Amino acid sequence: MAVETVLNAIRRVFTGIPPRVWLSVVIVIIGFVLSYIVAAVNRQILERAGVAESLEGTAIERTAREFGTSTVRIIAKLTGYFVLLLSLLVALTVAELGYADLFWSGVAVFLPQLFVAVAIMLIGVVVADKAELFVAERLRGIKLPEIGIVPALVKYSILFVATLIALGQIGVATLALIVLLGAYLVALVVFTAIATHDLFASCAAGVYLLLNQPYGIGDEVRVAGQRGIVQEVDLFVTRIETDGEEHIIPNRSVFKNGIVRIRE
Amino acid sequence: MSSLSDVLSEFVADPDAIVLFSPSRGFYDRFADADSVVVVAEENVVDAEQFVELPLSFANVRDRVRFGIEGAMDDGILEEGNTAVCVTSIFDDENDSVSRVRVNESMRSGIYDLFTNSRADPSVIRDVFDVAIELGKKGQKGKPVGALFVVGDAGKVMNKSRALSYNPFEKSHVHVGDPIVNVMLKEFSRLDGAFVISDSGKIVSAYRYLEPSAEGVDIPKGLGTRHMAGGAISRDTNATAIVLSESDGLIRAFKGGTIILEIDPEEY
Repeated sequence: MAVETVLNAIRRVFTGIPPRVWLSVVIVIIGFVLSYIVAAVNRQILERAGVAESLEGTAIERTAREFGTSTVRIIAKLTGYFVLLLSLLVALTVAELGYADLFWSGVAVFLPQLFVAVAIMLIGVVVADKAELFVAERLRGIKLPEIGIVPALVKYSILFVATLIALGQIGVATLALIVLLGAYLVALVVFTAIATHDLFASCAAGVYLLLNQPYGIGDEVRVAGQRGIVQEVDLFVTRIETDGEEHIIPNRSVFKNGIVRIRE
Repeated sequence: MSSLSDVLSEFVADPDAIVLFSPSRGFYDRFADADSVVVVAEENVVDAEQFVELPLSFANVRDRVRFGIEGAMDDGILEEGNTAVCVTSIFDDENDSVSRVRVNESMRSGIYDLFTNSRADPSVIRDVFDVAIELGKKGQKGKPVGALFVVGDAGKVMNKSRALSYNPFEKSHVHVGDPIVNVMLKEFSRLDGAFVISDSGKIVSAYRYLEPSAEGVDIPKGLGTRHMAGGAISRDTNATAIVLSESDGLIRAFKGGTIILEIDPEEY
């Protein structure tokens, strides 16, 4: 008897629940499975694409390793959670829990943006790390203590831009930051232009000298008052040698002052 | 057997420096507590503090040890009167031999200088050696071929030489070490005359007839005109001459009018 009443009670409870709720429960379960599959497939794809190897050695990867995971896994999990949350939203809509409508509709718009922002941040951090490593590798030959600032500068510039885009995604006012970025870029361009003006001028002259070869290695010439035998012409400078002296003359001044070829 | 280990322990007793040639990481780590360890290898894979870069993997152990010791002397790690114990390999890549070397100035044969203190960049000299070795190995269409490369101080060399014919490298910007160059030089090696290569590795000219004064050039008797020309131009200018002999197939390097290095391309 007792068992029957309990069973009856349970049956009544179950039949009391509207089919919509059942449907939403099914959707949540499907969402769980789907999120798991998406995460696994994503991880496979990322690993196959060699993302894991290319991330090797970056700061974010090291931090992730400390927590016993890896960047690829984090990204894969994020996509999984995204799918799961999406399914939860769909389930809630299907279940027609009216009181939550207003709140959830806001979330439904905001959530994808947040995900995109997080993804942009992650990519930004990774790219920044990679760029830092790359620049540091390139500059390794230059033994100058202050050179360490250049890779850091590159890294934080990229991070800054990534942050800007991410904040823009979730609708935070970024005007002040954009102005800052603009000022920074203008300063960078102006300083670079001033600093490399001579180099570019020499380079342009060097291209002409290399293509047309008005004088070549072994010719005796006089440039800017220096007479000697040409030893080397490269993009930026011409090396002219006399007895015991080597004059390294920027190509810009070769062009400006003209060349005298000496023929005996 | 005890006498053998006695001899060996005497042999390796109190060195001023231990010179390891291309050691593996595990092998290098075993010397972590030693005072002065010098690593001589093509690449510093073990992150050794004292490192001498080997431009060629000299097949001749004598040359290899000489190069390492001279490099260490140049870096101030070793000085005259020191003893160094060198661990190197003769047969395979494994370490199989130990030699005790007393360092003195007469050890300076100039092999190290040839690569590091020449006018031309060390990498350029190495690239020219690579080209010469390949040329010596394969020859031109199976026949042995000779070649003369004059590296560095190109301006002066060009002034002390004249063109035998039109220069195939005129207005070109080819450098030794470019991938296409080996084939190109192989083709041009059947031309008469010398190749002139600048300090930075640019091939300035082929078909050059060298006109240095041959006074005071000290090269072994029996070598031909190609060697004589190479030796003489290296004495007359600051250039390094690298000569591949057509008759015996050896590569010889000249600097300052004397022969510095002799290698057999077949061993590389």
